[in-house]
Amino acid sequence: MTDAVQLEAVSKVYGKGQGAVAALREVSVRIPTGSFTAVMGPSGSGKSTFLHCAAGLDTPSSGSVRLGDTELAGMDETRLTKLRRRRVGFVFQSFNLVPSLNVLENITLPMRLANARVERAWLDEIVVRVGLTGRVGHRPAQLSGGQQQRVAIARALVTRPEVVFGDEPTGALDTVTAREVLTLLRDVTDAMGQTVVMVTHDPMAASYADTVLFLADGRIVDAMTDPTADRVAERMTRLGAWT
Amino acid sequence: MMGFALKTLRHRKAAFAGAFVTLLCAAALVTGCGMLLETGLRGNVAPERYAGTPVVVAGDQYVHQTIVKKKGKKKHKAKQIAERRWIPASLADELRKLPGVQKVVAEVTFPVHEDGGREALGHGWDSAALTPFTLATGRAPKAADEVVVDAASGQRVGTRLKAQTPAGPATYRVVGVTRQHLSSQHTLFFSSAQAARLAGRPGQVTALGVFPQVDVTKIERSGEVVAYSGDERGKAEFFDAEQARIKLISLGGALGGTALLVAVLVVVGTFALSVQQRQREIALLRAVAATPKQLRKLLGGEALLVAAVASVCGAGAGLGVGFWLRSKFVELGAMPEQLKLVVSPFPAAAAVLATLVAAWAAARLSARRAARIRPVEALGEAAMPAARLPWPRLLAGVLVTAGAVTLTLVLSTLTTEAASGPLTMVTALLWTVAVSVLGPLVVRAAVTLLGPALRTSRTSGYLAAANLRARARRLASVVAPLTLMIGVTCTILFVPTTMGHAARAEAEAGNRADYVLGPHLSSVSAARLRERTGVTAVTEVLHTSVRVGLTKYGAQGVTSQGLARTSDLGVRSGSLDRLGPDTVAVSEGAADRLHVAVGERMALTLGDGTPVRLRVIAVYARGLGFGELTLDHGLMARHVDDPTGTLLVAAPGLSRTDVAAAVPGASVLDRAQAVAAAAPDAEVNYVAMGLIIAFTAIAVVNTLAMSISDRTRELALLRLVGTTRRQILRMLRLETLTALVIAAVLGTALSVITLRRSAPG
Repeated sequence: MTDAVQLEAVSKVYGKGQGAVAALREVSVRIPTGSFTAVMGPSGSGKSTFLHCAAGLDTPSSGSVRLGDTELAGMDETRLTKLRRRRVGFVFQSFNLVPSLNVLENITLPMRLANARVERAWLDEIVVRVGLTGRVGHRPAQLSGGQQQRVAIARALVTRPEVVFGDEPTGALDTVTAREVLTLLRDVTDAMGQTVVMVTHDPMAASYADTVLFLADGRIVDAMTDPTADRVAERMTRLGAWT
Repeated sequence: MMGFALKTLRHRKAAFAGAFVTLLCAAALVTGCGMLLETGLRGNVAPERYAGTPVVVAGDQYVHQTIVKKKGKKKHKAKQIAERRWIPASLADELRKLPGVQKVVAEVTFPVHEDGGREALGHGWDSAALTPFTLATGRAPKAADEVVVDAASGQRVGTRLKAQTPAGPATYRVVGVTRQHLSSQHTLFFSSAQAARLAGRPGQVTALGVFPQVDVTKIERSGEVVAYSGDERGKAEFFDAEQARIKLISLGGALGGTALLVAVLVVVGTFALSVQQRQREIALLRAVAATPKQLRKLLGGEALLVAAVASVCGAGAGLGVGFWLRSKFVELGAMPEQLKLVVSPFPAAAAVLATLVAAWAAARLSARRAARIRPVEALGEAAMPAARLPWPRLLAGVLVTAGAVTLTLVLSTLTTEAASGPLTMVTALLWTVAVSVLGPLVVRAAVTLLGPALRTSRTSGYLAAANLRARARRLASVVAPLTLMIGVTCTILFVPTTMGHAARAEAEAGNRADYVLGPHLSSVSAARLRERTGVTAVTEVLHTSVRVGLTKYGAQGVTSQGLARTSDLGVRSGSLDRLGPDTVAVSEGAADRLHVAVGERMALTLGDGTPVRLRVIAVYARGLGFGELTLDHGLMARHVDDPTGTLLVAAPGLSRTDVAAAVPGASVLDRAQAVAAAAPDAEVNYVAMGLIIAFTAIAVVNTLAMSISDRTRELALLRLVGTTRRQILRMLRLETLTALVIAAVLGTALSVITLRRSAPG
């Protein structure tokens, strides 16, 4: 099995001198292609920084980040953007959609920015898979929170990215809607072989993943395969006790 | 990117409304000013009096100078003279000898002030053919007291006409009425011999009409004689229209330029605000896949789309502005009625282009900031705007401030009104640009100062202070255009007022006369007054401008006899007693600039272009109130269009009515009135400034509304945590008030700095 994302001794330090804060310390991890990985940790553990560095949204202070065969270290902002555009998809907690564009336009936004053609059949398949049939002409304001998140997932998938990153994708949703979105992400991994990396603080959300990575104080302190919500919650409680 | 830009525009109509209105107004103003500018550049005055004359030979209305620069380069400069240049009558014989010339008609022109206030131009009946004028009733004038009036005069054959001419007051008999009349002037014909006598310039004529259309350019002499044909003939007739054209060029340019600058400042502000409001959306676009370049394109595209619609609408409205400005200027006498507005697509096209460029530049400036937004910000919670000022902006701010300081220092070394006028404006503008570039810094400092005062109000004031401190940049985008408006307005309004004030104070301080009589009195009236018992002295006063080299100086002509009893110029050296046809008195300021002292000789060009060399006999202090040069009245009277003027009368024993009765038709004036009447330019500036102020006010209101509409969420939150409606309104009022106070203080401060430096003396 090849690795979709590979981090080698990645550190991220904010600020300089005395006031410097290390958000990541020498983190090394491999995320296999076609897996669904959840990253957990208490507030301030560096899980958002981890996601930003892995996705090329932010550049690490030291260490190497590889997306497939490509080394991200040393790329400038424009090259990073172009790489994200082709090879990475994003789902954020909220404020995910451009309010002036309708559902279909939001989904195809990355293609438009890349000046690429949208394959009609692929687009139709995605729309069906995320369950937005019949709503493609709506504006984000006319959709519920769960539906908006489905649009975001569809947009993340449209470029056939190597990895889809999610930053608390269910953080702003109620339990029922959150389950639907998580099921969709699980389904995307199983049926389409899509690699998904998701940051969350919700043990229930983490239980949908193949593997859960636990971050504390800027380091990966543990990993868990085939997680359940109870085991994750218990592990988190202990992490909280340690820090 | 354009398609995308169109979509965001549609969705965010409100956010772009501010920019739209500002750009629309700017385009309208620029179009209007462009029309004035074009009229100044290409406008032609159609001849009226000379409409029937193929070729008009008249005086050259310019003084010329060739300046030899370094490397042997020569530059030719020409400046307009203030009065009509007369030409020798003997030129008529030279013209008759030229091949093809069949007829030459000599013309004299002089002002006639009819009783009842009508102003007319007097001519000899021989030159009636120049229009041509023909008789409807009656006959041509033969005797010295006979006149022919034009069809618009409403007079009939046999009526009597009292009038003042350069030769003095007299009563004339109407013997004929013409079939025609001219649209912008009243015409009066005397017998040719009498006209020549009344004009008072033996051997000289104002123009020579040549029939038929032949080439007579051989007769031209630079600085003396010019031949006009076709549309050019208007220039010979209305030489003051040329001055108006120059004024239009400078005014149109200055007004249009200021409008554009205000537009850029305001639009940069509104675009910066809209970028702040859309920070999340922009960060999302960056995260999803937009490169910084694409974002800049998107924002630039939005700006171009808004500007395209706004500028086209504005250019249409600008036609109206142009015509309105013209009608105002004509009303104020700053522009002759004969000068028709040139209407062409150029000003509108230029305005559209300028507005597009301004909007695009403004968008580019604010996009620099947008492109710096890191995609990570889309993932975090609400991001506060970065507090630090980027260093290129800081650098630019420091440079502009340095420039403003330099100009302010330069300004204090200048003493002429003419030289400091435009520079004062530029200095004030530079200061405002400095304030807007360094806006956030200045505003933060101001808020820190105002903080304690605000916090005396425990809830609203406390909140307002916190908001202002945290959002200095938003406050700055409101303060910058307001400061510009207040600063520039104060400077423009107070430069003439400051000057006028100083001039009036000097004139009043130097006035020794008991009465001032005017407005159009001849030497004959003066002589009559002098004979009256009780009158101790009468000084005849004339005003014109002369040129020393190419530089213009305001000059007065006075009769020296008894001068000390009617006015006190504040003589510092020398004496005014022997003021005569070959001497001159100079104000201290002019003496400094011209490097002359008592006893030295100086060359100058009189109002009608006649060169003279005069000996300086005195240097005096009150140059502002009396004019920078003082010449002999007799000398000046021979070289101005209208030798009638005001009389300063010293008659301690006589009452106002006694004096008025001695000179029929005269009105007794205050000295103050006389000075104020001499400055029509200030009113034109007020009209122009009024437009700029209205424009800035619209823009500022927009920006304010926009900066508050963005905060509905924040205000809702404040309501939720228990702030009352009144407290919120009070908070908003306090914030707006703070913006106003900061802008008022800054604007006033910079105009005071500028004015202090530019005020002469």
